[in-house]
Amino acid sequence: MSAAVSLAGIVKRHGSVTALAGIDLDVAPGEFFSLLGPSGSGKTTMLRILAGLERADAGTVRMNGRDITALDPGERDVAMVFQSYALYPHMTVRDNIAFPLKMTGETPAAIERGVNEAASRVRIEHLLDRKPGQLSGGQQQRCALARAIVRKPALFLLDEPLSNLDAKLRIETRVELKRLQRALNVTAVYVTHDQEEALSLSDRLAVFMDGRIVQVGTPEEVFSRPATVEVAGFLGNPPMNLLPARLDDGYAMIEGVSLHLPALAVFGKREVMLGVRPSAVRLGAHGLPGTVTMCEALGEDFFVDLSVGERLVRAKLNGGERPAERSQVQVALDGRALHVFDRQSGARL
Amino acid sequence: MRERRFALALFLPAFVLLVATTTLPLIYLLWSSSQRIDLTMPWMSGTAGLENYAKLGGDTRFWQSLKLTLIYTGTTVVLQVLIGLGLALLVLQVRAGQAILRIGAILPIVLAPVVAGLFWRSLVLAPDFGILDFVTRALGLGSYNWLGDPQLALVSVIAIHTWQWTPFAFLVLLASLAALPPDLYEAARLDRAGPWQRFRHITLPLIRPAIVIVVILRMVTALSAFAAIFAATGGGPGSATEILNLYAYRLSFTELNIGYGAAVAAVLLLITLSVAFFLFALRRAR
Amino acid sequence: MRTAVLLAIAIVMLVVWIFPVAWGLLTSFKTERDVLAYPPEVIFEPTLVNYHDVFFGGASIVPNLISSLIISGLTTALTMLFAIPAAYALARLDLPWKRATGFWVLATQMLPPVGLVIPYFLLLRKVGWTDTYQGLVLVYLTFALPFAIWLLVSYFEEIPREMEEAALLDRAGRLRALWHVILPQAKGGIAVTVIFVFLNSWNEFLFAVVLGGNTVRPVTVAMFNFISLEQTQWGRLAAAAMVGMAPVIALGLLAQQHIVKGLTVGAVKGGGRR
Repeated sequence: MSAAVSLAGIVKRHGSVTALAGIDLDVAPGEFFSLLGPSGSGKTTMLRILAGLERADAGTVRMNGRDITALDPGERDVAMVFQSYALYPHMTVRDNIAFPLKMTGETPAAIERGVNEAASRVRIEHLLDRKPGQLSGGQQQRCALARAIVRKPALFLLDEPLSNLDAKLRIETRVELKRLQRALNVTAVYVTHDQEEALSLSDRLAVFMDGRIVQVGTPEEVFSRPATVEVAGFLGNPPMNLLPARLDDGYAMIEGVSLHLPALAVFGKREVMLGVRPSAVRLGAHGLPGTVTMCEALGEDFFVDLSVGERLVRAKLNGGERPAERSQVQVALDGRALHVFDRQSGARL
Repeated sequence: MRERRFALALFLPAFVLLVATTTLPLIYLLWSSSQRIDLTMPWMSGTAGLENYAKLGGDTRFWQSLKLTLIYTGTTVVLQVLIGLGLALLVLQVRAGQAILRIGAILPIVLAPVVAGLFWRSLVLAPDFGILDFVTRALGLGSYNWLGDPQLALVSVIAIHTWQWTPFAFLVLLASLAALPPDLYEAARLDRAGPWQRFRHITLPLIRPAIVIVVILRMVTALSAFAAIFAATGGGPGSATEILNLYAYRLSFTELNIGYGAAVAAVLLLITLSVAFFLFALRRAR
Repeated sequence: MRTAVLLAIAIVMLVVWIFPVAWGLLTSFKTERDVLAYPPEVIFEPTLVNYHDVFFGGASIVPNLISSLIISGLTTALTMLFAIPAAYALARLDLPWKRATGFWVLATQMLPPVGLVIPYFLLLRKVGWTDTYQGLVLVYLTFALPFAIWLLVSYFEEIPREMEEAALLDRAGRLRALWHVILPQAKGGIAVTVIFVFLNSWNEFLFAVVLGGNTVRPVTVAMFNFISLEQTQWGRLAAAAMVGMAPVIALGLLAQQHIVKGLTVGAVKGGGRR
């Protein structure tokens, strides 16, 4: 029932702009797979090509081995939840959900059953006789979901479905979405620019940058071992600190200060970008000299902005004393917790 | 692709009909203008080549008509925009005023131009018992022959046209003004801009597109105005209100010199399309 | 204080706009003698004789009302039948040479009617279709069709594109997507277009006077029955005009908001005879 999706060599151009520059991807059946990236990275275009709403200029799309590249949207076994929900405003919720079944010529009895089942899965049975205009944002979203799942599709596409909800609702709905997908055991491809969402929801994800996939993997893999500087700078809240450095057999020259980091000796001599997560930053006895420019307390943590040379380093400190503003500190770096990227290519070393 | 075929299937019937009803007759018009079609002397009919157009050059009635057309079109459009914009600005802040004017605006818009012409002619402008005559006499300004005097007749038909179409300009400009975000004005106020400056530097540039559209549409209507003038003056007295439209009509259907009338109509067509394209290009350029 | 002045100006303008019709209404209840009275009378003994003559007299305009109804009704129906699919194709589908076609449709709206009435006169005469309903309705389509297409295109463009996409994914296919999803959402725009097409057809004069005749004579032309070289029957003329204009005035007052909206939408997107 759920489909394996396979993309090979997908290229898409809009005039002189290349939206997708050769995408290869495999999604396993039943997987919750996210397409993560900043706006304009091509992830939505990719989704629309999967749906059949746009045609790729090159490459093939396969579902369970079958080549569906040339098929119309209605001929693929695909359902989609749009960012704007695209609910039919002149129909009741019931008619909205029933619409796909009506279009495939189901019997009224089957339609009734399908609608009730879908509505109860997303818990909007009590709203069936209302019109979309009378629903709240969250309810509209669930209506869109119900319409998508009512035909029990093999592939489920979601285009930033949570972006129109307020923060609290977003988190609640996130959990529900995952639960729903698991219950239906349907392959889902999910587009978002919110890395927190992608990391928490996905079985695996692909990071899109400028029309290419720069990394594919499980959330743990991508988070703990980002493949490029861009990916590193994109994930995490606050994102990873990136410092240019010159490595010299175990010594690193950062902002004019030389630190002894034996763990980096293996990289020899080269120009690199060092990545350090805010949570891996410590204020200690030795390290880079820095000044505290700002300190925010958030619950148990302190988010501290440090000025190191010309650079801004963000630290997330847990417990301990609140650092005073404008105090001079030493920023300690643990060589083993550092991510090293080649300065020129941005690739992980 | 399938979509393209579907699109063509939907579009072609209307397209064919449009070509049949507009483009074909126009070609026939141009052909007719190269003919000598005189229904009073049918034996004289035959090809005339560009003879009809050459005749235009020396036809004083034609040049007079052209001049009248330009005066008529220019004056009514300017008046409509000024009055319409003025009214819109005045009632922008006064909701009750807007409601009143919206109701009032409907009547001239839905009224057939021919009826507008008839009403104005018979009731307002008629000498001796027309309202206007009464008013001017009561004010001590004497009596005027609004439809009989050549100059006044032109003023009259301009007034009728302006009366009929200003509501349109008013409604469009009001909608345009009402759609402007109030934040801009507040920001301008904070920047110490006075009302005239606010108007000149914020309002005017922002509603320029609407004004341009109104000008284009009203110009096209003014160039093809017929019924109201026909009803009010018939093009007279003499040829005092005979804009190109009416001249072509009279030539073709009163004097039955259709070939020549077609030539005049063709000239009007050329002018109208040129004006429209010119203004549209202006709109797109900026 | 300022508000009071502005309101006063608004009321003055209202009076100016309403006045000719109001005066016409008044005149229609006057006897010929009262009409010619000087100073013009506002208070007088009203009479229904004008209306009686206009309805039941020798020059009754009832057949003309029917004529107008047939012409306007047929024109509106045919126009909508052709314009709705065409406008949808132009607005939403992959039509070859879309821009050029769009321009051309716009240009056909700008044609001065006198430029069309001359060839039509000659052509219809050849085919023997002058003074016939089919001839006149065909000619009326020249201004109704491009106008309707242009107005409808702007209304279709207001509907979010995702509506069709969602419908396609729901296996509706393009035709059913149009029927079940798009057209219901365009109902308002369609209504406005119908109103304007009907209005313009009812009020048309030039085409009617040149291409009509004794059989096909709408009210706009019939009014001239009351004007002759010797004398004008002012009272009856006023009554005939009021009767002839009653349908469009009623339409205007009832559909006021639709009309205002239609004007502004149509104007913003460019094009429109009215």
